[in-house]
Amino acid sequence: MSETFRPRNADGTDKSVDARFLRLPSIAERKLGRDYSAPIRLDPRVLDQMQQTIRELGSKYAETLAAQVGLLPPLIQRACAGIAEARGQIYTIVHDVRGLAGTFGHPIVGSFAKSLCGYMESSSGLDPTIMRFHIEAMRDALEDPQPDAGLARETLRSLELLIDAAGDERSVG
Amino acid sequence: MTASPQAHNAALFAGLKVLVVDDSLEMRRLLVALLNVMGIDEVICAADGDTGLALFSERAPDLVITDGSMQPMDGYEMTRAIRAMRKENDAPGQGADIPVLMLSGHMGPEIVARARDEGVTDYIVKPVTPELLYERLLEAISKPVHVVETPTYRGPSPTRRLVARQAGDLNGNSVD
Repeated sequence: MSETFRPRNADGTDKSVDARFLRLPSIAERKLGRDYSAPIRLDPRVLDQMQQTIRELGSKYAETLAAQVGLLPPLIQRACAGIAEARGQIYTIVHDVRGLAGTFGHPIVGSFAKSLCGYMESSSGLDPTIMRFHIEAMRDALEDPQPDAGLARETLRSLELLIDAAGDERSVG
Repeated sequence: MTASPQAHNAALFAGLKVLVVDDSLEMRRLLVALLNVMGIDEVICAADGDTGLALFSERAPDLVITDGSMQPMDGYEMTRAIRAMRKENDAPGQGADIPVLMLSGHMGPEIVARARDEGVTDYIVKPVTPELLYERLLEAISKPVHVVETPTYRGPSPTRRLVARQAGDLNGNSVD
């Protein structure tokens, strides 16, 4: 199947782009033949095994997570002083935590990490108070075996307000 | 006699070769373990887009699972490079027709739009859950592959709707 588009340039002249549209067999069809039919639901036995795998990896990950969060406080001062290496180290750790903590049963720690990642991605300079409060919130959530979700939401909201206020100060200044 | 869906499933997964590209050692470990449980024994790993691209050319995987943010080459650039690969013929299963599943901590529309424009097949927001990974992988390998080919691109249509899939979110956030 082949077709030619004729979009316009800014000056109105014709700008033709040759494009072909193809429908290829699925990977399953390529592997198993044309009579392959996808299962209508996920295999619950496989899902159970996957959950079990996460539980098994989770205890090891809890140690890694605690060690990662423990590395953050000594880096704050240098990162806020503009030292790129320290900032990069914090971001690498927090980015990792954002992606994994939720999978292993620490969604609140993951939420604080996500907030901190967002702040670091959008700010050229770093505020030590914002950095410290985020890291303390992560550590507190990690140390509490049953963190209060309502309190976590309030803390997260406070951190967002703090970030907004810092942004307002920068724009006024 | 038709084989049961689960038998099909097992045979399908056992024959798959998956490339995992993520700069997090923990995430690579997790994905390898989950893919192994699904019955996929051949999982190739890379910690950045450069290495991922080299392994893609060398090992010809059936499917790619990649992180977005990585250095020196990120998952977006790697996907663009994969989609720009030219082929000698239209035989399926080569280079640019391979599904690319992106796992990312970002879910802003502009990031999802970038993923779509670079040729990402499916966009999954972290944290990953077994259900989400299993479902999206099954979808990627069991649906026909619709490809647009231009002189500089071969892959999923960059004008299609791409939904950012998230655990517990059946509808997702889409970019038109």
